[in-house]
Amino acid sequence: MTRPLNGGVTAGRPQSAAPGATTVEMRGISKWYSNGVMANDHVDLVLNPGEIHALVGENGAGKSTLMSILCGLEEPTDGEIRLDGQTVSFSSPVSASEAGIGMVHQEFKLFPSLTVAENVAFRAEPTRLGMFLSRREARERVRELADRYRLGVDPNAKVGQLSVGMLQRVEILKALHRDAQVLILDEPTAVLTPQEVDDLFAVLRELRDAGRTIVVVTHKLREVMAFSDRITVLRDGRSIATLTTSETNPAEVAHHMTGRDVDLDGRYNAGSPAGVALRVDGLFVQNELGVMVVSDANFSVRHGEIVGIAGVAGSGQTELIESIAGLGGHSSGVVELDGTDIHQLSAAERRRKGIAYIPEDRRGVGSAVTASVSDNLAMGFHRRAPLRKGWRLDRAAMKRHSADIIEAFGIRVSHAKVEAGTLSGGNLQKVIVGREMSHDSAVLLVDQPTRGVDIGAIENIHGRLRAYRDRGHAIVLTSAELSELFALADRILVMYGGRVVAEYPRADATEAKIGLAMAGITQQTLTGSEETT
Amino acid sequence: MRAWWPSLRPMLIALGIALAIGAALMLISGSNPLQAYGQIIVGSLGPNGWAATLSLAIPVIGCALAVSLPLRAGLINLGGEGQLVGGGITAVVVGTYFADLPFPLSLILAIGAAALVGAVIGFVPAIMENKLGVPLLISSLLLSYPIVAVTSFLVRFVLLDKGTGLPQTETLPAAFQMPQFGKVTGALFVLIVIIAVVIVIDRMLPAGFEIRMTGLNRKFSGYSGVAVSRMTLWVMAAGGMIAGVTGALVVTAFPFRFVDGALITPAYVWTGLLAAMLARANPVGAVVAAVFFSALQVGGAAMERETFVPRELSSILQAVIIIVLAGAIALNARKKQKVA
Repeated sequence: MTRPLNGGVTAGRPQSAAPGATTVEMRGISKWYSNGVMANDHVDLVLNPGEIHALVGENGAGKSTLMSILCGLEEPTDGEIRLDGQTVSFSSPVSASEAGIGMVHQEFKLFPSLTVAENVAFRAEPTRLGMFLSRREARERVRELADRYRLGVDPNAKVGQLSVGMLQRVEILKALHRDAQVLILDEPTAVLTPQEVDDLFAVLRELRDAGRTIVVVTHKLREVMAFSDRITVLRDGRSIATLTTSETNPAEVAHHMTGRDVDLDGRYNAGSPAGVALRVDGLFVQNELGVMVVSDANFSVRHGEIVGIAGVAGSGQTELIESIAGLGGHSSGVVELDGTDIHQLSAAERRRKGIAYIPEDRRGVGSAVTASVSDNLAMGFHRRAPLRKGWRLDRAAMKRHSADIIEAFGIRVSHAKVEAGTLSGGNLQKVIVGREMSHDSAVLLVDQPTRGVDIGAIENIHGRLRAYRDRGHAIVLTSAELSELFALADRILVMYGGRVVAEYPRADATEAKIGLAMAGITQQTLTGSEETT
Repeated sequence: MRAWWPSLRPMLIALGIALAIGAALMLISGSNPLQAYGQIIVGSLGPNGWAATLSLAIPVIGCALAVSLPLRAGLINLGGEGQLVGGGITAVVVGTYFADLPFPLSLILAIGAAALVGAVIGFVPAIMENKLGVPLLISSLLLSYPIVAVTSFLVRFVLLDKGTGLPQTETLPAAFQMPQFGKVTGALFVLIVIIAVVIVIDRMLPAGFEIRMTGLNRKFSGYSGVAVSRMTLWVMAAGGMIAGVTGALVVTAFPFRFVDGALITPAYVWTGLLAAMLARANPVGAVVAAVFFSALQVGGAAMERETFVPRELSSILQAVIIIVLAGAIALNARKKQKVA
């Protein structure tokens, strides 16, 4: 089924477009799966050359399916794709790539032991005499592409030694090497630090100005507003709206995404802290390799207070939190819960004493995705009443327990016996948050609570964290998003190189101060006192 | 009923496919498939067959449970042979050196000692994995070889029944012989107790819940407060214990002695392993699969005796059934994951 073209779409190629620039039209795209799920329902998407187009929507809105269809991974049940007005059909990613469509996936597909040039050239190797690999030519082509788009990648570097941000650029180079006119990036900022995000956008603008079409699949509104030229919103498998970024605002986009009005940032409201709940004194943590990952951490968290920990990824936040929970590597120092030292206790004993923990990796650590929602909700609290009755598990109590949490935390699931892995990221996070909040533990440790979670669920989880604090619990929160810390924390610590290098009450904290401290620049280093790394 | 039908249906289809392939093979080789299949059923479950099926099923079930309990926690216990043989020889040693013990005490002591030895044999590879990082899969398998060899030495030189000229121990004293209740051996009741205990652990105990969650995601289990490496020890010891008791059940049944190789040659351990793997560590499923495989073996032998189907075809038929079933189960699990 084909819908009529919007007038002017194909004609509107900007002057800046390079030769070969492509207009992509996806018309009436539908995709049913054999289990009856309709992932795309007559979706329209038009991509003009020389634009950065944001494809936004909540998890399960059909973004990934639509992009899988565009890059040839899946075939649509209905609808058609046109490139410059020509109807095409892609039977595989190879045919899409030949037509100039390249995709940078969320998980990078690279060989760590090979160089950048070798990775980029793989399966599209320049050859001499039709059969011999020409490494030199591959290197030069990669260098030329990297220079032209200011990617700053060394063709001779071993991929295994590159940072995540650089790996992403290698993936972009791979697509460019195959002459992609249309570049699709799936959640490209999920793995990047704030600085790397800015650098990525600079690269994308560079590519856009050269006439290429960029599609960024994302659900981060702030970024959408910052970098895109146009926005297409999907919801429940349908295209809801296509907006021009300069003429819209975050609230409108969020409204289209969720179908309701969303309180985006959730105003910060101050807590009313009471006595000290958690005290950490001189805590050192070594990881399995013997590397000191947390050095001399000293801080306390009061009842009714959220303490946020800022820092670039790998500054020791996760290890600090794990160590307080009784997990992770070897540690020394004092960890006090309500005045009693718990440093010698096992993770199970700490749980029992009142330490709950929401880990960063919700599928790998925070849940068993092949177990039922009900089992996931019980785990960790199954050895105490009411889930345990005498020597055995009380199945009826487990059922009530899961029904209560599902209801209280608004987890969207048809039945508590459903496998947890079938839930969306936000929904699964609600399962974990619900479980960890349901036992009134004095201290709640929260590591990256909303990474990769829908806006609707973020709002929900933020509200719950505030309410939990207001009931007198102490919360330690880490986040890669400064905005999240500003929305929640009553006090912000900054970690750098395993140390807590700065501490600001909410009122004194500014993005500039924290940003500097995250880079290791603090009052002490400025005045020249020693800082070991 | 509704809950298990969807998982049973593909297995029945698989069984049908396997039988059709077998029938085709038999038609090609000139035998009558209907007659052959009839003989399998009559031979394994008929009035003259069920006792043979049962006596094969007892050790196979034991070995299946010895694998399924650790497998629930994601651990593969390949040390079944060592644990089985270790338990068997221990029961014989107790019977030889404490020959004067009175009836119930005699068997309780023999089985108890076999359980202990089996548990230790299961425990050792777990310790080696925890402390030295030797993969459980390798250490549990390799530990069997010295144990089987030492047992063989004991049977052939220390405990040998010199009168028979065969590598076997002397007959156990009457007090150490498992009583019969008609055609049913007392070993069945011991086994039923083991099955019940395993099911209770699996379904009802907090520990069983932890074992299952550990099997599904070790990191999640550790995060939730389970000491995963300590659990490895206990679960492997429990698996070894079940195999050890199974060994004792075999030697205290007819011919009431340890015949060298008699615990290895029938491949109880590997049939049990297969049953546990096919059942994806579910203990009830493992028991059902173990009984099925035992019936298939006994029925296959009957088919050889009663029809003109050659021996090899019987083995081929069994292999086809197992492979198609395994494929169907794996496919079913994958489909479940995909829909999920």
